[in-house]
Amino acid sequence: MTCTLTTRSAAETHDFARRLGALLRPGDVVVLAGELGAGKTVFTKGIAVALGIEETVASPTFTIVREYEAPLPLVHVDVYRLDHLQEMHDIGLDDVLGGDGVTVVEWGDKVSRVLPVERLDVRIEPGDGDDDRVITLDGAGPSWAARRAALAALADGCADPDGAPEPGEVG
Amino acid sequence: MLLLALDTSTEQVSVAVGRDGTVLGSVQLAGGRRHAEQLAPAIEYLLRETDVVPEQLATIAVGTGPGLFTGLRVGVTTAKVMAQALRIPVVAIPSLDLVAYPLRHSSRLIVAVLDARRREVFHAGYHAVPGGVQRAWEYTVSSPAELVADLETVTTGILLAGDGVARFGDVFAGLDRAETAGPEHAAPSVAALVALATARMEREEFVAPWDVHPFYLRQSDAEIEWDRRGL
Repeated sequence: MTCTLTTRSAAETHDFARRLGALLRPGDVVVLAGELGAGKTVFTKGIAVALGIEETVASPTFTIVREYEAPLPLVHVDVYRLDHLQEMHDIGLDDVLGGDGVTVVEWGDKVSRVLPVERLDVRIEPGDGDDDRVITLDGAGPSWAARRAALAALADGCADPDGAPEPGEVG
Repeated sequence: MLLLALDTSTEQVSVAVGRDGTVLGSVQLAGGRRHAEQLAPAIEYLLRETDVVPEQLATIAVGTGPGLFTGLRVGVTTAKVMAQALRIPVVAIPSLDLVAYPLRHSSRLIVAVLDARRREVFHAGYHAVPGGVQRAWEYTVSSPAELVADLETVTTGILLAGDGVARFGDVFAGLDRAETAGPEHAAPSVAALVALATARMEREEFVAPWDVHPFYLRQSDAEIEWDRRGL
């Protein structure tokens, strides 16, 4: 199921991510796709707020992986500096994914081959206005199918995987 | 000849000091997932209590996996650094062998199974041979269901060991002719590491510290396709 919505500012993107964050469960994997400046880190910050993390969440571009303690812990991964898929194993991805937290992977679309099939893909793309963002959510696997109604309630509209693309969908 | 043996391929930290194949002392810390904090103090404690100074060590023996990345990296790095600092060689033994070896008196097919995360297991099968075990298939990573499907074609008795068996107990419960070794066989045996490494030492099958690598089994050969090049 693919859901789409448009936000008008970084604050709106943050707010949306916070509401999405409230739906997350142990073991969830969220993949963030979008160009530099799209708002992937803003999105992660919104999720962190929802999980009750008070620490400042910064993009882990140079550390690659950062973990935040919370009742539902957050593991924030940024693969931007990696060149080879093998490095995903070398950073301990399998241990991270085997934990009880939520894993958010910035640029995760570039390494989707080594990520679990069951995950939420979030694509953030430019909209009509400078600060507009078109956000596409694509949840795969039974655990996201079970959250279909909750996702739809957050979005402007949703389509089934085999259905026609949403009018607002870009690319 | 004194050796220091360590395995961190599972959630357990295991360290032993051996002399001529006998374990002088060992420390096992189960389940903490705190390899980086626990390994060096465990080594220090063990050397002190066995009255061994690092300069007396002739070899460092290390379980190289396959296993969990974080622990494996701590153990292999520690082994390499100590060996390099002490100018002594390393003996590297796959951790699945260390699960199978203590069961070498069984006439059944011994299957070592370690939790690989992501609903997969690392595994290898072994047959007892005089003095040890011989591997029956390559070290493999697969889903527990795939392993069970393969084992269903085995006509002899099967002995399962390793933390992957309990982890996926529901999947392995369906296997006829299979029994599970007790919880003391859940982690790679550091006593087995002392025994196997001593035999390797006697045959001078050493590895230089810089040639020791963790054995992950999961390989991804592709480059990541970025269109950011030139930015």
